[in-house]
Amino acid sequence: MEALAQAAQWFIGLFQAGAATFTGLVTGIIPLVIVLMTAFNALIALVGPERIDKLGEVAGREGWAYMPLRYLVLPVVAVFFLTNPMAYTMGRFLPEKYKPAFYDAAVSFVHPPLGIFPHVNPGELFVWLGIAQGVQSRHGDAELASLAVRYLIVGLIVIFIRGVVTEQITRVMWSQRPKTA
Amino acid sequence: MQAVNKFLETIGRGAGRVVGALYQAGRDSIDQVVKNILPFMAFIAFVIGIINATGVGNALAQVLQPLAGTLVGLIIMSLIVGLPVLSPLLGPGAVMAQIIGTLLGTKFADGTLSPDVALPALFAINPQVGCDFIPVGLALGEAEPETVEVGVPAVLFSRLVTGPIAVVLGWLFSFGL
Repeated sequence: MEALAQAAQWFIGLFQAGAATFTGLVTGIIPLVIVLMTAFNALIALVGPERIDKLGEVAGREGWAYMPLRYLVLPVVAVFFLTNPMAYTMGRFLPEKYKPAFYDAAVSFVHPPLGIFPHVNPGELFVWLGIAQGVQSRHGDAELASLAVRYLIVGLIVIFIRGVVTEQITRVMWSQRPKTA
Repeated sequence: MQAVNKFLETIGRGAGRVVGALYQAGRDSIDQVVKNILPFMAFIAFVIGIINATGVGNALAQVLQPLAGTLVGLIIMSLIVGLPVLSPLLGPGAVMAQIIGTLLGTKFADGTLSPDVALPALFAINPQVGCDFIPVGLALGEAEPETVEVGVPAVLFSRLVTGPIAVVLGWLFSFGL
């Protein structure tokens, strides 16, 4: 009898640990995320996401001078206003040869802003939050904010590099492709 | 009188639009929380609870720790996760990145990992981002089939280069954390 009771206690203990984690997540994170998401969703609705179409048309122009627009400004604006996964529809304004690179840049930006703009990809919050929560619980809010800002800034640099590198790889692979038509 | 009416109408319309947008935004946020965030939290809480209570977490962390604790280890991690064969398999729902991230998070919380590897770690767990979604993402951008054919391997190979670069950049930007 004693052994059974102990086994039951151990069994429930497994889930009590999970329940404690769940309570922490729900009370610690959800209220802030709800308020932030409401603010940005409202902003997007008031600005009107269709306004960024023009930007897409300009970003598709030839030449290296348009690279920062194509792989930095356009993906950032697309991800902020259209969020994951609709952001990738902005690729329709670009010539075919730039589409893979734009996708690479845009999809790489769906996590770095999560610390400040959770509305861009709420379903994958924990890519950021898993590590962020650990840092916050030991080192506090100031450290968390600092990490959030740095994640965003490095994310900007990384998506630009990805856009440029993928554009070059796409160009090489396209030229080596056997002509079928 | 006409002018006053017009003025009042404009104000009323404007206020209605703003309040409507805010209310709808609130509705969307709650929807997202119920549909996406809460289910994932339940899943994470369950997995982490079990992992920690049974001690599997410690074993896993022991494996991950040498990788996560140093710059070289993190670069190796990003190379493994970014392999063109593995990355499309690890991508879906970012589940792998979220679980590894949460596991590492417990190590940041207990102080085994120092906060200056947090930023490179965020990039090291995620070089596969979107690799499962390339054909769909390109289709959303109305790409031709030919573009998809070239684009999928182009993005996958690009990640082998840019994954480690991202980790190094994260490390460079960690000073003072």
